[in-house]
Amino acid sequence: MITFTLNGQTVETDDAPDTPLLWVVRDTFKLKGSKFGCGAGLCGACTMHLDGQAVRTCILPVSAVAGKSITTIEGLGTPEDMHPLQAAWSEQSVPQCGYCQSGQIMSAAALLEHNANPSEEEVERHMAGNICRCGCYPRIKKAILSVAEQNSGNELFHEVRAEEAQS
Amino acid sequence: MNPLKGMNRLKDVNETNEFNLSRRQLLKSMGVVGGGLVVGISLTGCGSDSPLPIDTAANGYLPNAFLQITSDNSFVFYCPRDEMGQGITTGLATLFAEELDVAPQRFEVKFPGVHPAYNNPAFGAQGTGGSASIRAHYEPLRQAAANLRSVLIQAAAADLGVAPDAINLDDAHVVVNGQRHPFGQFIETAKTLPMPTEDNPAPLKAASDFKYIGKEFPRLDGVAKSTGTAVFGIDVELPNMHYAAIKHSPVIGSTVASVNKTKAENMPGVTDIVTISSGVAIVAEKFWQAKKAAEQLEIKWNTSELANLSTEQLKQDFKQMLDSDEGVASDESGDVAAEFASKELAINSEYWAPMLSHSPLEPMSAVARVENGKAEVWSGTQGVQPIRGLVARALDMTFDQVSIHNTYCGGGFGRRSYVSHCIEAAEIAAATSKPIHLLWSREDDTRSGVFRPASLMRIKATMDEQGTVTGWQAKRAGGNIMPQRLSTGLPGVLPTAVPKGLINTAVNVADSVFENWIPDPTSVEGLSSDYDFPNKETLHATINHGLPLHFWRSVGHSFTAFAKESAIDELAHKAGMDVVDFRLKNSQQQPRINNVIKIAGDQMKQMQTKPGHHLGFAAHSSFESHVAQVAEVSVEDGRIHVHKVVCVVDCGRVINPDIVRAQMEGSIMYGLTATIHGNLQLKNGGIKESNFHDYPILRMNEAPNVEVIIVDSEEAPTGVGEPGLPPIAPAVANAVFAATGQRLRSLPLTI
Repeated sequence: MITFTLNGQTVETDDAPDTPLLWVVRDTFKLKGSKFGCGAGLCGACTMHLDGQAVRTCILPVSAVAGKSITTIEGLGTPEDMHPLQAAWSEQSVPQCGYCQSGQIMSAAALLEHNANPSEEEVERHMAGNICRCGCYPRIKKAILSVAEQNSGNELFHEVRAEEAQS
Repeated sequence: MNPLKGMNRLKDVNETNEFNLSRRQLLKSMGVVGGGLVVGISLTGCGSDSPLPIDTAANGYLPNAFLQITSDNSFVFYCPRDEMGQGITTGLATLFAEELDVAPQRFEVKFPGVHPAYNNPAFGAQGTGGSASIRAHYEPLRQAAANLRSVLIQAAAADLGVAPDAINLDDAHVVVNGQRHPFGQFIETAKTLPMPTEDNPAPLKAASDFKYIGKEFPRLDGVAKSTGTAVFGIDVELPNMHYAAIKHSPVIGSTVASVNKTKAENMPGVTDIVTISSGVAIVAEKFWQAKKAAEQLEIKWNTSELANLSTEQLKQDFKQMLDSDEGVASDESGDVAAEFASKELAINSEYWAPMLSHSPLEPMSAVARVENGKAEVWSGTQGVQPIRGLVARALDMTFDQVSIHNTYCGGGFGRRSYVSHCIEAAEIAAATSKPIHLLWSREDDTRSGVFRPASLMRIKATMDEQGTVTGWQAKRAGGNIMPQRLSTGLPGVLPTAVPKGLINTAVNVADSVFENWIPDPTSVEGLSSDYDFPNKETLHATINHGLPLHFWRSVGHSFTAFAKESAIDELAHKAGMDVVDFRLKNSQQQPRINNVIKIAGDQMKQMQTKPGHHLGFAAHSSFESHVAQVAEVSVEDGRIHVHKVVCVVDCGRVINPDIVRAQMEGSIMYGLTATIHGNLQLKNGGIKESNFHDYPILRMNEAPNVEVIIVDSEEAPTGVGEPGLPPIAPAVANAVFAATGQRLRSLPLTI
């Protein structure tokens, strides 16, 4: 049995220890928002947060997350209570097919967590690990920068994010 | 197999013509006139009075196949086309919502199953592609909504005891004397009223009265796709569902000779190992178990005749065809032979475009359940109808026994109109008596898919001293998509009573027609278009290596525009003229492309470029739309960087400008992957590349800024999903020439 925290809840699984976290989350815990794109850590569609860091879960064995905290797109926000990035994404019509966007948003959220006001170049460098085959890159970049701008100087945001990062 | 089997056929097809049909009649009967990409087949044997394959509320009002209204004033829109990211759910909902006077945001969008009511008017079958959805549905969907609007007005007038012309409609409400009454209040009366007939349809709104068409608002699927709640094929779950992985042959077209299952069948979770038509499937309780066990399968293959085929061989064979007299002519005017005899050629250039993979980010996946004499398949697809027919044939069932459920597509680009994975899932489900979730790996997707055909093109041209192109001959050598489309598509849309043998005969006829009589439109479309060329000739030499070829975003235009617009650039430089002025001069009889060239050219002149940055220009019409692009490029350390693209598009009346911009941006990025990375190589009959490390996709740090300018137009709406793609490769190649003086005639562009 491997025990870890999934979106704030303690869960345990008897999946084989070498099973990539992506498949445990999708097939065992039925959270389908994180996607399979390459199986080799090359496209970022499977990105989740491991203790606040963006990780590629299609190559991360579930044994490596024992005792750790995992956040998926479902834990970041819901249609009724969206994370600011999710709100920006939908308001600015970032997605096309939408398949990569959970991974894009999780990567972006991790970036803003650690760097609330990134430069355009920092966004590009950080997001280069996430492929969008529909080519939504200009909109993804713009949405991230718009959230960063909206949050800069917003003390409450930084406090809330800091608390979340600690919990 | 002799790859050059077309070599000895006579060029003059009239001498060998066995068919008593005109070219045009035949083309028309095959649905390939007018840029249609999916073959139109009338649906004999599938009555339109069959029940609609949709979920409805018990007391809902279903005035037509597209909308349900319930008494609580909620609306379900059954979107007749498939959503692969192009924004069609928003676009078609907007058309319907406009005439009904309901904000599109009120619509819950669902995808129906197979029914002729949902046919694509452009194809006469139920499929999505060819950038056809908006232009094909623009009038019919609005008419259906306008008819409903008139019925609701009559119902409200009766229920409220007022004259119909005392009624106004506003966002799902009937407004009388300032009082708002929800549409849902009148549905019981509406149910009793007749719908306007085709002979006497309700009037459509004047464009000046549009509230939603032409306006910008967020996509209807934006929230679902930003919160991980949108359901794709890969997300479908059924009770007791088992997972399947599949092993396809490394050499394309090979079949299974024998399987040693010993190691694999003892792996944890494995329940079944079955040999199916396309390979060996391994079934387990969890996907990861199936995937790991698949690696332990030992399969011997009956290697196909493609075993020695390589990209070098393709190129060599194509070159031989270009050098030969072989070639079927189309798109001709004047007298090219006389023109070429009278003047020296200004250019004689050869352009190469390789095979490509579509690589949608969601690999092929399908869920199938076969039980109690019924089969059901769930998948994100560009066409539910062919899946139903193909599954019925594979499982020896009738159409009535098969249901197909569509989901959002994790990228389409043409790939999801080829549905072998759905047939595989159904075969595995039937063989194991378990609900099956089949998921291809990325490696399967790259190597076992259908491919954009490789092409070698040669353009010869003459011009006069004033820079008018007087002679143009463009020849392409390569494989054809359409016969393969017929071969895999016809069995899906024709009644199961039509035997495979008859279909094969039809396919063979098509194969021969395209090889000897008229070129497959998808092989040469756009190669000689957009300019006034008084003497021109387009030639096609078919060479069929037996590779699985398919529509890839913008199809033939994806390679022909590269050749045509590179050649035009070469001619402009040879004439010593500005590349924009040269294009304007040679396109005076083509007002719409001329106009976008002019607008983009004006932009180009105003662009402030940094030192070391250079501009390239290209223009191309496809899917009835007209696009010109300027690419700002630098070349550093032997690498091509694309910094900015200005894109001018004339796509007629615009339904949602933001979605048009998104499609131009996306097409440019998709096209840039092909421009600077895309190269799917054949080696020993298999694909060399496998995943994103050796088949790279454009990433954010390589993505240019894009500025889109949409031409204001009241013409009928035209294609949007694909036309932004064709100009980008030549625009970048032409910029590289401006930067380095190097003329790159081979894709992907390498310095």
